[in-house]
Amino acid sequence: MADDLKTPYEYPFELPSEEAVAMTDGGIDGRPAGVPSSYEQGKSVRWTPESISEVHALSRLGRYQIRGFTTFNHRMPTFDDLTFVPATMTRLPLEGYRESCDTKTVLGGGTGLVEKPLELDIPIYIASMSFGALSANAKASLGYGASKVGSMTCTGEGGMLEDERSASQKLVYQMTPSRYMLDLEHLRMADAIELVVGQGAKPGTGGLLLGMKVSERVARMRSLPEGVDQRSTVRHPDFLGADDMQVKIEELREATDYQVPIFLKMGATRPRYDVAIAAKAGVDVIVVDGAEGGTGASPELLIDHTGIPTISAIRAAREALDDCGMTGKVSLVAAGGIRSGTDAAKCLALGADAVMIGTGALMALGCNSPRYFDDYAALGTAPGKCHHCHTGLCPVGITTQEPELEVRVDVPAASERVARYLTAMTMEITLLAKACGKSSVHNLEVEDLRALSLEASAFTGVKMAGIDKTYSW
Amino acid sequence: MSAVIVTVGDRPIREVNKEIRAALAEGNAVTVQDTRSRHNLGIGLPEGARLRFEGSVGYYCGGLNDGAHIEVERNVGWSAGEAMAKGEILINGYAGMSVGASMRGGLIHIRGDAGPRCGVAMKGGDIIVEGKIGYLSGFMAHAGRIIALGGAAGACADSLWGGEVWVAGPIESLGVDTKVVEPSAAEVTSVEALLADRGLGSNAREWQKIVSAERLWHFESRDAGAWLMI
Repeated sequence: MADDLKTPYEYPFELPSEEAVAMTDGGIDGRPAGVPSSYEQGKSVRWTPESISEVHALSRLGRYQIRGFTTFNHRMPTFDDLTFVPATMTRLPLEGYRESCDTKTVLGGGTGLVEKPLELDIPIYIASMSFGALSANAKASLGYGASKVGSMTCTGEGGMLEDERSASQKLVYQMTPSRYMLDLEHLRMADAIELVVGQGAKPGTGGLLLGMKVSERVARMRSLPEGVDQRSTVRHPDFLGADDMQVKIEELREATDYQVPIFLKMGATRPRYDVAIAAKAGVDVIVVDGAEGGTGASPELLIDHTGIPTISAIRAAREALDDCGMTGKVSLVAAGGIRSGTDAAKCLALGADAVMIGTGALMALGCNSPRYFDDYAALGTAPGKCHHCHTGLCPVGITTQEPELEVRVDVPAASERVARYLTAMTMEITLLAKACGKSSVHNLEVEDLRALSLEASAFTGVKMAGIDKTYSW
Repeated sequence: MSAVIVTVGDRPIREVNKEIRAALAEGNAVTVQDTRSRHNLGIGLPEGARLRFEGSVGYYCGGLNDGAHIEVERNVGWSAGEAMAKGEILINGYAGMSVGASMRGGLIHIRGDAGPRCGVAMKGGDIIVEGKIGYLSGFMAHAGRIIALGGAAGACADSLWGGEVWVAGPIESLGVDTKVVEPSAAEVTSVEALLADRGLGSNAREWQKIVSAERLWHFESRDAGAWLMI
């Protein structure tokens, strides 16, 4: 037998040609016959075209990918997984087109420590987005638009702009770990101060502003070398844990003579515990920013794979405040992926006292609007699909520091669109509230909601539609 | 200028600070006694104010200083002079963690050692430490100078932006993205003049000036094309 193996086998016919073996006669060009039908389509659930492309990108870049906008994780539940169950026989609706519904919102008045709690005419305000991430025109427009409807804006981490302060009747001054341009006078000009321990898009990691947007003005305000890829700290420089933060909060109250509320903004990760600790630390308002929250720039993996959905975070946060007797004392603001008044109303029903919107407000300014098609194309994208905030080449002038792009934000028109968007959102909230029989948007409650999926019920503790039972809460 | 004595004891800090501010507003110098290492004393004080704390103080003493001259007889807790814009803080003893954190201007002078993260994220001004600076001092300092006469602990000047850390004495280890460079004669003259003003003049110091190696400043070049790849 062994000797037989040493003898090459020979067919009793001539060796076939490679073309004949490949069955190329009559086949589709470029596709060898005999290969499974998945050859063209690809059916791997793991190695999708997107994941293959990701490997190619990582192989080319040698670092993680970076982008702006918001999560592309399709597993994230949305507000659409919840529906309202308006008044029918068990309760009485209000006249949706006629009767009034109170929208006044007070933040920071519950602790009794603050001389001037924030009074907003509507339960929505504009999220913290920095000058640097946004153009000065965009910041001013947000301020004017919010002011027109009795709402407010927030500085973000890049310091306070004079234009922004004058445009915003109410302005939250954000204190991030990086403390860019932290100024006592600005602190005292603010209507509230927000300590930031995280954001929904990238909890556990500091801010990021790529060099294209670190213009001379931005660099000067942040005391940074012009054009650097600014990566901010995530830990505050002057305190570490919650007990230290308690002392920090007292310092801020001393610096502002107990006039204005102290906010704390966190990315939603373990809100049941984080919110209880924050309340104990002595803040007046807690902002919980869900994983759907936006960002100007971030490692993509953080946007897509960190944090928990907003709808789940709100319920956990509210229960935490209930459990430690802080409901009514500490206000709760929800943020992250809120697109409409319907989404906002669901946040209020889940337990938020107010909501904060970022990406939606940028859309109102003109983000992704169908103009300047060539500039979208130059970025490799199109209106409705753009998420290139990180490049600093925003076609509509919102997330840029390039003067020729920034002027594309027409401040009066953009301001008016923001005002109308906030008005429309508020009308949507009151319409839903009245349908549920509420004379105040703050009377919306969990009982007004039903879940359309087991997951949504499990995430939120909202009863499943039909069976009226909570799934495992 | 007359001197007014304010006693801390176990009084509410808000009440103490209000009394301090009122006395300063009338143009008085203030001496604060029975400090008991209490936190948040002397926050956000204005230019021209003169204040002396007898004993030790806790966290954030002189925080957000806007031009006051503050002296502490003994030690300070964490984050003294945090975010100060101008003025001067003299600490005759030791400083805890994060002294001068994110300060933007002015001078902090510590006669003893400074704890970890001295001058963390500072945006300007000077910190003089006659003793040793602690772990991770100068971390991500944007601008300004930390001048340590008694050496430095580990991870010194980690991740600097535009700040400078000057050390006379041994450095246990440098932080990431740093390099030691030879200071120019003019720079040495500037530092020594500042020290001489504080009664610390010397011609015998061997300086190690630490600056950013600038290797972490960019993911790529400042080039739109780089960011369009992703």
